[in-house]
Amino acid sequence: MSAADFKDGLIREIPNLRAFAASLSGSMQLADDLVQDTLLKAWGNSDKFQPGTSLRAWLFTILRNTYYSLYRKRGREVQDSEGTYAERLAVRGNQESHLDLADFRTALAKLPEEQREVLIMVGATGLSYEETAEICGVAIGTIKSRVNRARTKLAELLSIGSLEDLGPDRQSAAAIQRAGPEIVRL
Amino acid sequence: MNGMAMDPGEPGGEPDHDIVLDARVQESIGRSLKAHYDDLVNAPVPDKFLLLLAQLEAQEKRASAGDASDERR
Repeated sequence: MSAADFKDGLIREIPNLRAFAASLSGSMQLADDLVQDTLLKAWGNSDKFQPGTSLRAWLFTILRNTYYSLYRKRGREVQDSEGTYAERLAVRGNQESHLDLADFRTALAKLPEEQREVLIMVGATGLSYEETAEICGVAIGTIKSRVNRARTKLAELLSIGSLEDLGPDRQSAAAIQRAGPEIVRL
Repeated sequence: MNGMAMDPGEPGGEPDHDIVLDARVQESIGRSLKAHYDDLVNAPVPDKFLLLLAQLEAQEKRASAGDASDERR
C-alpha cells in the first residue's frame, strides 16, 4: 500500500474515529486529541497494517488502547459530555428528535465503558461481533453478553426517565422482567 | 430493589440469565444508537487533521528523497 493510499484511508476513517472517540470519552475535545494521537500512531506503524484487513478495526484498536492507557483518567476529570453534545444539538433542526437524542446520550453516558464501547461498535459502526471481540481482546460470548447488558440497562434508564413519552403501548413494551415493579406501577 | 444489584458482573462473560428485551425496545435502542453515532459522524472534520496528515506525508517524502529511495518501508 502506497503512502498516499494509506493516507486516503486514514482520511476516510476520521469521521468514524471521532464518533467512536466521542462516544467513548464523552467529550468532543478529548475525542479530537484522541483522534490526533491515533493518526500519529497509525502513521508511525503503517508497516504493521495488513492490507486487505479492516482499516477501521485496526484504527479502533489503536484508538481504544490509547484511550485506556492515557485518556480515561482525563475523561473523568473533564466530564463535559452533556455540554458539548448540547452545543451540537442546538445547531440542528427538529426539536423533538433533539430531546430524544439528548436523553439517549445522557443514558448512554451512564453505561460502564466496557458496555458502551461494544454497544457502539456492534450497533453503530458496522463492525462485526468478531471484529469487536478482536479489538477488545475478549471472546465473542463476552461481547454478546456486554451488548445484552448494555441494552437492558439503557432500556431501564430510558423508560424510567420518560415513561409519559412512550405511550401505553411502549410502557408495556419497556416493562422488561428485571425492571419490574417500578415500571408496572407507572 | 435495584436492578443493578442483580448484575452478575463481568468475569468470564458468563451467560447472564439472558434477559430478553421486547423487540420494539431493542429496535428503538438501535435507532437511537444510530442517530447518536451518525450525528457525530456527520459533524464537519476539523482541518487540523488533514493538515497533520499532509505534514506527515511531506515529511516522509523529504526523508525518502534524502535516502534516494521512494519506497515507504
